Amino acid sequence: MYRRPKLYTSYEQETQLLPTWTQKGLAGAFIAVLFLLPFDIPVITDPIPGLGWLPIFGDGIPVVRFLGDGEWIRVTSQVLVLAIAALGLNLLSGVAGQVSLGHAFFMGVGACTAAYLGGHADSQVWGHSLPIWIWLPGAGIAAALVGIIVSPVAVRVRGIYLAIVTLGLVFVGIHLGNMSFGRKIAGPPSLGREFQDLDIRLWKEETPLINMSDDGRWLFFDVTEEQKRYLFFLVLAIGFTVLAKNLVRTRTGRAWQAIRDRDIAAEVMGVPDFKSKLEAFAISSFFAGIAGALVVSLSGHLLSDEFNLFFSVEFIAILLIGGAGTTSGALIGTFFVIMIPRFVEEFTRWLADAEGGVSGAVANAILTGGEGDFGFVSSGIESQGWPLSVADWNVVLFGVLIIVFLIFEPLGLFGIWIKVRNYWKGWPFSY
Amino acid sequence: MAVVEDRVSPTPTTGGATTVASLARDWAQRDPGHIAFREKSYGIWEEFTWEEAWELIELSAHALLELGVDVADRVSIHAEDRPEWVIVDIATVAIRATTVGMYPTNPAAEVEYTLSDSGAVIHIGEDQEQVDKVFDCDQDKISQVRKVIYLEPRGFSEYDDDRLIFWEAFLEMGRKHRAANPGAVADRMAAAQDDDVMTFVYTSGTTGPPKGAMLTNRNSMFAIEKIIAESRAMPDGKPPNKSDQILTYLPLCHVAERIFSTWTMLAGGPTLNFAESIETVAMNLREVQPTLFFAVPRIWERVHAGVLIRGGDSSFFKKMWLNMGMKAADRIGKAKVANGGNHTTSSRIQHAIFYPLVFRALQERVGLRHCRRAASGAAPIAPEVLQFFMGIGIEVFELYGMTENSAVATVNYPGRLKLGTVGEAYDGIGLRIDEETGEIQTKHEGNFLGYWQKPEKTAETFTEDGWLKTGDVGEWVDGTHVKIVDRMKDIIITSGGKNISPSEIENSLKASPFIKEAMVIGDGRKYLTALVGIELDTVGNWALRKNIPYTTYRDLTEKAEVLELVQKVVDETNEKFARVEGIKKFAMIPKELDHEDGELTATQKLKRSAMTDLFGDLVESMY
Repeated sequence: MYRRPKLYTSYEQETQLLPTWTQKGLAGAFIAVLFLLPFDIPVITDPIPGLGWLPIFGDGIPVVRFLGDGEWIRVTSQVLVLAIAALGLNLLSGVAGQVSLGHAFFMGVGACTAAYLGGHADSQVWGHSLPIWIWLPGAGIAAALVGIIVSPVAVRVRGIYLAIVTLGLVFVGIHLGNMSFGRKIAGPPSLGREFQDLDIRLWKEETPLINMSDDGRWLFFDVTEEQKRYLFFLVLAIGFTVLAKNLVRTRTGRAWQAIRDRDIAAEVMGVPDFKSKLEAFAISSFFAGIAGALVVSLSGHLLSDEFNLFFSVEFIAILLIGGAGTTSGALIGTFFVIMIPRFVEEFTRWLADAEGGVSGAVANAILTGGEGDFGFVSSGIESQGWPLSVADWNVVLFGVLIIVFLIFEPLGLFGIWIKVRNYWKGWPFSY
Repeated sequence: MAVVEDRVSPTPTTGGATTVASLARDWAQRDPGHIAFREKSYGIWEEFTWEEAWELIELSAHALLELGVDVADRVSIHAEDRPEWVIVDIATVAIRATTVGMYPTNPAAEVEYTLSDSGAVIHIGEDQEQVDKVFDCDQDKISQVRKVIYLEPRGFSEYDDDRLIFWEAFLEMGRKHRAANPGAVADRMAAAQDDDVMTFVYTSGTTGPPKGAMLTNRNSMFAIEKIIAESRAMPDGKPPNKSDQILTYLPLCHVAERIFSTWTMLAGGPTLNFAESIETVAMNLREVQPTLFFAVPRIWERVHAGVLIRGGDSSFFKKMWLNMGMKAADRIGKAKVANGGNHTTSSRIQHAIFYPLVFRALQERVGLRHCRRAASGAAPIAPEVLQFFMGIGIEVFELYGMTENSAVATVNYPGRLKLGTVGEAYDGIGLRIDEETGEIQTKHEGNFLGYWQKPEKTAETFTEDGWLKTGDVGEWVDGTHVKIVDRMKDIIITSGGKNISPSEIENSLKASPFIKEAMVIGDGRKYLTALVGIELDTVGNWALRKNIPYTTYRDLTEKAEVLELVQKVVDETNEKFARVEGIKKFAMIPKELDHEDGELTATQKLKRSAMTDLFGDLVESMY
C-alpha cells in the first residue's frame, strides 16, 4: 500500500521480487548498464580545459571503454555463462540442500549432447548439424534426464555421502568420455572436437537467420562477434536468473527449502521428499546442461576432460563465497571467482613491467624470475615448485577464501551485504 | 471468513434516527468499494469493502431477527477485536437491540455476572476458550441466553449443545430470513429512536461490581460530533477522512476504542486495521503506520521504555547518534511544552537537523511516522512521556472523558496545549468544577441514560440539577484548561490532615521504564509508602547487562541491586514533590499483577481495595 511497504494485502504483493519503485528503477538501470557494457560510448573528444595538466585528461577521453573488445568481454561472457550453472547448483545445493560435487558432470552431459546434436559429423565424430533451437534445449533436457536418474540416490543418502556419490559421477563421466562411443561424441581424449557456432538457423540452411559468428550490423549498430555473443549470453543469463528467482518462491521452491532445513520434518508436513529432490536434481541439471553447452561454445572447442573435479569444486567455491541459498549470492560469487584471478594476473603483469620507484620495489620483493632471490611469485607462466606461479597462487587464494568465508561469514558475500543492510535498517537501534 | 455470495444492493430506507447502523448503510451506498476493514490472516491483511461489510452486517441483523431478538434485547460479544465484533455490534444497533461487550480477559465469573446482569439473549463467543467460559457459568443464572454463536470452529466438533451455532451457519440463517422478509431490517432501522439504548458499557469496577452504563444513539452521535468531527482538534485541521488508517487493538467493549475505531470509521471513513493481538501491536503498528492513533498511557509508557531500552542496547556508533537525538528531543520537547505545543524557531531548526538522522527512523520503528493525530486518554499519563514524544515529533494530545458522558469532556487542542492538563472543554458543552468538592461535572447530550437496573446508583451519579458527577477532582489552569487532581475516592488524607493525590506520584514513578505498577498508600497514616511492581522485560534486560542472575519475577524483585534501582527512581520522584508527598518507604510487589487474579481491572487499572487486602502484610510492614 502507498507509503506502507509492509502492509501486504495479498500474497502476490508479499512475494514481489521488486516491491518498490526505487528497486524497480535500480534493477532496470543495472540491466541497461549490462547491455551497454560491451560498447564504446563516446564522451569527450577534446582536451578538457583546465584539466590538461592531469596526465589522463591530457588528450581528452575519446571513448569510455567499459569492456573494450578483447579479453575482458570474453571473461565477462564467461561469467554470464558460468552464472547460469551457478544458479543451477544454487537451486540444488543452496535452496534444496543437496550437496553436489557432480555439477561439472551435468555440464559435460549438456556439452556433449549439444556437440552430438549440433556438431558436424566427420570421420571421427558423430554429429547431426541441427540448429541451435534444438541443440541448446536438448543439452538442458539430456542433463535433466541424467539428473532424474541420479536423484533417487539423494533420497537414500544425504550430506557427505551424497557429496561422495556425486563426486563419483565426475569420474564416471570422464570414463564414459574415453569409451568408444564417448570418443565418437566428444572427440579423441585430450584432443576433443570442434564445437559449432551459435548461429541461429531455422533448419540447416546456408545463411543463418541471425549470424552470431561474424562481425556485423544489428539494427543501426556495428557489433563484433564477441559483442553479439555477450548480448546473447546476457539475455539467457537474465532469463535464467528470473527463472531461478521465481522458482524459489513457488510451491516447488518452498518445498525445497523445507527439505533443506530438515527433510524428515518436511515429509511429515506433507512435502513429498522424493518428488522434491527429483525436481531439484532435474532442474539444477537443466541449468548445468545449458551452461555446459554455452561454455564450450565460448572456446569453440569441446574437451571432455575439462569437466573434471576441479571444475565442480569451482562451483562450490562460487556458492560458498557468494552465499549459498541466494540467487544474488550465486551471481556475485560467479563474478568474484571468475574475475579475481584475472585481476591478480593483470596485477602481476603490471608489476612485472614496473621498473624503479615504489611499484618497482614491490615488484622486486614479490616477483622472481627464477631461483635465487626472495620473491614468492614466479613471473613466468610455467613454473614448477617454489616460487609458485600466479595460477597456483590463485588456487591457494581460493582455498584460503573458502576457509575464511566458512568460518567468518557462512552466508558469503551476500551475507556481508545483508549485514550492511540490516545495520541501516535497524537504525538507530541494533535490533 | 468466507466472502459472501449473492450480494444484493443495500435496501434504501428513509426515516429513523441516525445511528451507527444508518451511517454504515450510507457508506455502503455511497462508497461500496472503499475499504472498511483489514484483518490479518495467515500473514496477509485481508480487505473488506464497505459493500462486503454491509452485506455481513445485514445478514447478521437478519439472523438476529430470525433468532427472535426483539427491540431493546441485549446481544453480548466476547471476542478480541476483529471484523465480526464490529459487524455484530452494528447489526445489533440496526435492529434496535443493545450490544454488551466483554473484555477478552474476563474470567468465567465475570462472564457469568455480565451475562446475568445484562440479561443477554444471544451471546457471541470468539472461540473455544471464550465459549467454555459460558459453559463454566452457573447455567441457572444465565438461562435467558438462547443461542451462543462461535466464530472459530476449531475444537467444537465434540461439543453437543443445541445453543451453539457456528458463525457461517448464523449468516446462512440471516440469508434465509432475508429471502423471506427482505425489508425486516430496514423496517427496524426506520423505526430507530434517538433514545434507543445502543450499548451497555460495563464500568471497569475498581470498586464494587461492574455497572452497565447505558449509552443511547443520541449519545453516540453527540460523541461523533464533538470528539471526531472536531477539526480543530486535528493538527492539520482536516477531520478524519477516507485516506486515514486506524489500528484497532484496545478492547472494543471500552468506550474509548469504540469511539476512536468504530465510530471514527463511521463518521469519516478511515479504514480499520485489526491488530492480531495485543502482543503484536508493536509489529502491527509498523506495518499499518496508522494516521490516527489512540492509546492508553500504559501503551505510551511501553513504547517510551522500548525506545530507551533498545537504544541502550545499540552499538557504539548508533548509540552516539541516538543520544544526541535524545538530547535534542528533550530540548525540543521542553521548548514546545513551554510554547503551547508549537515549535519555536530554535526547536524547528533542531527538528530539521535530527529528523533525517534519528527522528524519522524512530517514528518509523515506533510505527507512527504517518500519524497525524495521536491521543492519550482513559487514565492519567506522566508529562515526561508526552514531552518525549513531542520531542521526537509525535504530538500526543491528552484528552479526558468517561463512559458515563460518552467520553465527551475535555481535549487538548493543537497549539494550545498545556502539559499536565487534560485540555479545554469542547465547544458548547456544559462542564463545571464544583466549588465545594472540586469535582468535575458535565452536562450535555452525551450524558448517559443511567446504569442498567441500578436506579439508586444512577441517582448517585447525577446532581440534583442534572449534572453528571464524574468522580474526578479537578482544577482550572489559567481559567481555560482542566487539570485532573485524582479520583475523588483515591485522594489520600494523611493522619497529619494533608490531602495528597496519589496518581500524580504514581505516574511519576511509572514514567521510569523500570516500573510497571505503583500504588501509593498513606490514608490515615503518618507518612506515605508505596507498593512497586517492576517491568519484567526492562528490569530483566537491565539485570542481564549487569550480570545479575535471577530465576523468577519474585527472585528479581528481591535482588539488592534491583531494590537500589527502584530506590533511585523513588528518590528522583521525591525530589519533584513537596516533602509531605515524599515516599518514605516502598515494598516490592512479589508477583506480576493480573486481571484474572483480581488485582487489576480489565483495563489494567489497579483495584486498590483488592490490593490492600492481598498485600496488607506488606503494607503493614512499612509502618
